[in-house]
Amino acid sequence: MKAQRRRLGFNWRGLVLPLVFLLSVELIAMASPIERDAFAAPSAVLAAAIRTLHSGAALRATSETLITAGSGLLLGFAIGLIGGIPLGLFRRADQLMMVPLESLRPVPPVALIPLSLLIFGFGYAMEIAVVAFAVIGPIFLMTRSAIRGIEPQLMEVSQALGLGLIARVTKIVLPAILPRIFVAFRIALGIALVVAVTVEITANPLGLGYAMTIAQQSLQPDLMFALLLWIGLTGWSLNALLLRAESRLFGAAA
Amino acid sequence: MSRRERLFWTLASVGLAVLIVMAVAKISEMRLVPPVFLPPPQRIWAALMKGLTTGNLAQMFLATIWHMAIGLSLAACLGVGLGAMIGTSAKARAYLMPTLEFLRPFPSSAIIPVTIAFFGLTETMMLAVIAFGSLWPILMATIHGFVTVEPRLKDVSRALGLSRRSAMMKIALPHAMPDILAGMRIGLVMALVLATVGEMLTGRNGLGQALLLAARSFRTADLYAGIILLGVIGFASMLIFDRVERWLLRWRS
Amino acid sequence: MAPAPAAADPVLAASGVSLDLGDTAVLRDIDLVVARGEVVCIVGASGCGKTSLLRLLAGLLHPTAGAISYEGYPVRRPRSDIAFVFQDYGRALLPWRNAAQNVSLALEAIGVPRPARGKRIEELLHKVGLDGHAEKLPRELSGGMQQRLQIARCLAQEPSVLLMDEPFGALDAMTRQALQDETLAIAAASRASIVFVTHDLDEAIYLGDRVLGLAGSPGRIGETVAVHLPRPRDQLTTRENPEFVRLRRALHDFIGTVQSDRHAR
Repeated sequence: MKAQRRRLGFNWRGLVLPLVFLLSVELIAMASPIERDAFAAPSAVLAAAIRTLHSGAALRATSETLITAGSGLLLGFAIGLIGGIPLGLFRRADQLMMVPLESLRPVPPVALIPLSLLIFGFGYAMEIAVVAFAVIGPIFLMTRSAIRGIEPQLMEVSQALGLGLIARVTKIVLPAILPRIFVAFRIALGIALVVAVTVEITANPLGLGYAMTIAQQSLQPDLMFALLLWIGLTGWSLNALLLRAESRLFGAAA
Repeated sequence: MSRRERLFWTLASVGLAVLIVMAVAKISEMRLVPPVFLPPPQRIWAALMKGLTTGNLAQMFLATIWHMAIGLSLAACLGVGLGAMIGTSAKARAYLMPTLEFLRPFPSSAIIPVTIAFFGLTETMMLAVIAFGSLWPILMATIHGFVTVEPRLKDVSRALGLSRRSAMMKIALPHAMPDILAGMRIGLVMALVLATVGEMLTGRNGLGQALLLAARSFRTADLYAGIILLGVIGFASMLIFDRVERWLLRWRS
Repeated sequence: MAPAPAAADPVLAASGVSLDLGDTAVLRDIDLVVARGEVVCIVGASGCGKTSLLRLLAGLLHPTAGAISYEGYPVRRPRSDIAFVFQDYGRALLPWRNAAQNVSLALEAIGVPRPARGKRIEELLHKVGLDGHAEKLPRELSGGMQQRLQIARCLAQEPSVLLMDEPFGALDAMTRQALQDETLAIAAASRASIVFVTHDLDEAIYLGDRVLGLAGSPGRIGETVAVHLPRPRDQLTTRENPEFVRLRRALHDFIGTVQSDRHAR
C-alpha cells in the first residue's frame, strides 16, 4: 500500500477523458470534412449553440418546454398533494383506495401519449396532461410517506390540543412535511422535464424535444447536439437552483 | 390495524374499484363524456379479448416484452461489469466519475434523436436507446455498491490473501447486490418506458406502435386495451422482480 | 502443562518500527519479538496505536520506518499463516453466508480442494463449540457465537500466529471469560503464538506470557512484564494469585503515570 498521498485541490485526471474525446472528435471532423448526418465537431456544436441562442429559437423552444412541464408539474403536484395527505393521515382510507390506485401505478406515463393525442390533439394541453399524470404518482407516494414520517408526538400534541381536522392539517401536518414536500417538488421537476422532452420527441411538435427532432431530421447534427447539451444544462441548473433554495430555506431539516 | 380489519378494507377496495368501473360504464352510456374519449368498459374488455385472440395484440405484447428483455439484459451485463471494474479501482474512478456525473442528468429520451441519427429508425436504434437508458441507473448504483463495501470486509479479504477476482466475486459482489438490485429496478422501469417510446417512433412491432395506430384511427377501445396491457407488463415485471430480489437477498432480516 | 516457549525461537518480530498516518505520528521505535507458542498481550489506553501495531504485524499496514519479519522473512503483505481476529465480528463475517460457508471462505482462500473442505469445517466448528450451528446465518448467532465463528475462520488458515484486536471487548463478562479460556486451550493445542491487544489489564495478565504496555502519543513500548503465573490458567485461582495482583498494580501504575503525564502536558 502506498504511503498517504497529499490530495491535490482539484481532480485533474477527471478532465483527461472528456478532453481526449473532444479533441479526437474535433480532429476527425477536421480531417474529413464530408457532410455527415450524425457527426459534428465540438467547435461546430458550440457555434450552433451560440447561433440558436442568439436567434432566440432555443429560448423560444425552452420556454415552450418549461411552460408545459411547469403547468403539468403544478397540476400533478396539486392533485398528488391533495390526494396524498388524507391517505397519509388515515390508514383506512389508504387501504380503501389501494386497489384502484395500485392498478393505475404500473401504467407508464408514456402509454398515455396516444390517448392524450386523441383527446387533445397536438399542442400544450396534450403534453400538460401526460406530464401531470407522470408527476401525480411520485408526488402522491412521497406526500404519503412524508406524512407517515411525521414525529408521532406531533400528532399527539394536535390531539391533546383538540384541533379540528382542518386546523390539524394546516397548523401541524403541512409545516411538518414542508421540507420533504420541497424535495418531492424538486424531484418531480426533474421527472416533469424528462417526460415533457420525451413527449416532444415522440409526438408533440413544440419545445426542445421537437427542436432536437427537427435538427436530426434536417441533418443538422451540430444543432442537435447543441440542443442536447442545452437540455442537460437547463435540467441541471433548475435542479441546482432548487437545491440552493432548499438548503437556504431548510438547512439541515431537508 | 388488525389482520381482520385489513382484509375488510382490502375487500372494500376491490368493491370500490368495481364501483368505479360501473360508474365509468354509466358515464359512457349517458354520453357525459364522448365515448370516443371514454368508451364503456364492456367495449374495452371486448377489444382486449378480441385483440388477444384473433387480433395481433398478443404479438405486440410479446414484442414489447422482448425489446425490454434484450435492452435490459445488455444494460445489466454492461452496467454490472463496468460498475464492478470502476467501483473497485480508485484510479478508474478518478478518471471516469467526473464524466459520469456530468452525463448523469441528461434525460435518456433526449438521446433518441442522436441514436436515430446514427442508426436510423431501426430495431438496433430502439435496443440501443433501451440499453442506454437502463444502463445508467444500473451502472451508477453498481459503482456505489462496490465503493461502499464494508471496510472491515476489505480487511478480511486482504488478510486472507484473496485474489482480486476472488475478492470481487466472493465479497464485493454479494455485498453490492442490494445496491445493484435497486439500480436494476429503476432500469426496469426505464426499459418499459423506452421500449414503448421506441416502438412509437420506429413503428416496429410492439404495444407502443399498436397504441399509436389505434389513436390515429380513433379506435379508442383498442387504445385502452393496449394501455391495460402495458400496465400488466409493468405490474408483472415488478412482481417478478420483487420475488427475485427477495430470494437473492434472503440473508437480510 | 504445556512446555514453556523457547525464548530463542522467534516467529514474528518488529524492529525499530515507526508509523506515521498522514500528518500524525502513531508509533515510534517499536521493538518486539514474539516467540513460538508465546502469548504476548499488548495493553494501552485508547488511541495509543495498539490496533495500528497489530495491523502492522499482519501486513495490513506498512511501517514508515523499520521492518516486520516473520520467520526471518520480511512481511510486506498479509500471509495466510498470520490470522487476524477483528473486534467488530459482526462486520468481519459475511452476512450472506452461513457459519459453515464463512469458515469455508478461509479454506477457499488457502486453496483447500472442495472435497476436503466439509470435514475441515466440521472439525473447526467443533473446536470452537459451534457444532449444530453450521447452517445458521451470522445474524442468527449471538455475539459470542459470532466471535467464535470468526476465530474458527482464522483457525482454518492453520496460522502460526493469531493476532487478536480486542476480540472480546464487545461481549458480556461471562462470555468473555469463556472465550478467554477457549482461546488459551486452542493456542496450547496448536502451538500457535498469540498477540492479543486489549485495554483490559486483567485480561492481559490472565492470558499472557508477557505483557507489553504501549503508551504515549506517538505510542512507544513503555513497560514489559513477564508473567510467571502457572499454566493452565484458571479464572478463579489465577486471578487471586498474589503475583497476579502485583502485576496488575505494576501495570496500572504505568498506565496511570502515562495518563497523568498526558494531562499535565
